[in-house]
Amino acid sequence: METIEKLAAENAVVIFSMSSCCMCHAVKRLFAGMGVSPAIHELDEDPRGKDMELALTSLLGPSTASPVPTVFIGGKLIGSMDTVMALHINGSLVPLLMEAGALWL
Amino acid sequence: MNGQAEVEACCEEMRTDNHRVGETGLSNSATSSQTLPYGIHGISPSPTNFFDHEGSSYFGELEEALMQGVVDRKVFLTTRPPTLEIFPSWPMRFQQTSKNSQSAESTDSGSALNTISQLESDSPVSRKTSPDQSTEQPVPHMMIMSRTGEAENHQPKSQEKRRLISERDGRPLDAKTLRRLAQNREAAKKSRLRKKAYVQQLENSRVKLAQIELDLHRARSQGLFLGGVGASASASATMSSGAAVFDIEYARWLDENLKHMMELRNALQTHLCDNDLRIIVDECLVHYDEFFRLKGIATKADVFHLITGMWVTPAERCFLWLGGFKPSELLKIITSQLDPMTEQQLIGICSLQQSSEQAEEALTQGHDQLQQSLAETVANGCLCETTINNVGNNVYMAHINNQMAIALEKLDNLQSFVLQADNLRQQTLHQMRRILTIRQAGRCLLAIGEYYGRLRALSSLWATRPRENLFTEESACPATTDLQIFHHQVPHFSAF
Repeated sequence: METIEKLAAENAVVIFSMSSCCMCHAVKRLFAGMGVSPAIHELDEDPRGKDMELALTSLLGPSTASPVPTVFIGGKLIGSMDTVMALHINGSLVPLLMEAGALWL
Repeated sequence: MNGQAEVEACCEEMRTDNHRVGETGLSNSATSSQTLPYGIHGISPSPTNFFDHEGSSYFGELEEALMQGVVDRKVFLTTRPPTLEIFPSWPMRFQQTSKNSQSAESTDSGSALNTISQLESDSPVSRKTSPDQSTEQPVPHMMIMSRTGEAENHQPKSQEKRRLISERDGRPLDAKTLRRLAQNREAAKKSRLRKKAYVQQLENSRVKLAQIELDLHRARSQGLFLGGVGASASASATMSSGAAVFDIEYARWLDENLKHMMELRNALQTHLCDNDLRIIVDECLVHYDEFFRLKGIATKADVFHLITGMWVTPAERCFLWLGGFKPSELLKIITSQLDPMTEQQLIGICSLQQSSEQAEEALTQGHDQLQQSLAETVANGCLCETTINNVGNNVYMAHINNQMAIALEKLDNLQSFVLQADNLRQQTLHQMRRILTIRQAGRCLLAIGEYYGRLRALSSLWATRPRENLFTEESACPATTDLQIFHHQVPHFSAF
């Protein structure tokens, strides 16, 4: 859990992902399309991956299907793909990114 | 002269005794009094074939009188089939006449009585009335009298009969008789009510059946758009239950949506006040939320059904993206409806357009990667075949199974993409509602509804267009077909 928090605080936008996960790929493409360059941590390539997965599952809650992808902006937990998309559609994602310093207008 | 025929029928039945009943294959009761079904068979040609156990000279006289006038009716009566006559006309008349003619009663034998009770009720009910038979003695006589009273040309004869009955009986009307008569009336009334209830039950079931058939037809007609003629039977047969359920729900949703659209159109045309319009618009949005909820369930049940577009018409299927509409495309369609817009609204719509395009792009790319990875997994199976074959079949099969398992896992991911796409659609609709004024939002929702209505109409026109190379020149004229379709599709054509 501490690893997660530590890593999440290191960058403006942090994505926990898995190389084999296609939804993670979608999230990465979304941020790339907006001009953001997030810090990506592939859990399947990390020795502590399993623990981090468990920590993420507990963070996200029981309703989420998968621990990845999980997005942190400005050190704060944002959530999974549906949360990110909802925020983007209602126009609040860009202000968040700007606030965290990931985007400059 | 229905009354005449039925009186004769009644007489015929009374006349027929037990072995006669057996001969004609009619039901037989174990009680002393006979049980005769409603339908009449094997009417005795001889008027002298009375049942004897009550000294029924009365019946002979009655019969002769009747036979004089109704010989030609025999054919009609003999041909009456032994069916369950649920809606006979004449027993209902019994109710009135029995109440009327309670004056002259007789205590004559009971088999005729049973006949009457049988005639009044259909077979399932009649079985219940069999215990009542022994008490239902004098009614038929009353009935006969009253019924002959109805027949015009039997007036003189009926009076004759009334005299005959009272003369013949000779016994005064005592309490026992009266009680029996009352019981008889009660039993007759009960059997009438039972019959009524049964008929009502049948009617309800019929209505339910019609409703179910309609639903099924709608679901099938969704299946009919699966790529033209001939696919419907096979398609609906191979549909999973989740898909079938969704199709039915979707058909119902479409009907509801049509109602909402009409309400909305009406509200916009009559320039309803904003508060009322808001209620209608919010109702529409709630209905769309319901649609996404149904889709969510269907995605988890059968994602292929949604993603292959088997639930929409062919024209809609052309524009399908991840199991539904593309939000940015929809926004392009409705922006034309939105003029005039304030600066703020314009900015809002443009940014909504942009963000939905970005989200769509991201999902598309993720989906493409999924497809690629799936293809590789399935292809890997083939490649390994050649290398592993030497080692042995078991290893080969294990490898194939492993690859299949991986492939199945990847297919699971497909569900999450469709779910995300639906989430995007829902969010876009809600955001649109937030940005716009209530009138604009109403116009947008109406435009969306009309657009899809037209696409569906286009599909059915396409499906039913005459194909000249298949048909001969003498067959269906194109104009007629199109007009027929047009007429059939009137609800969807409203905005054409």
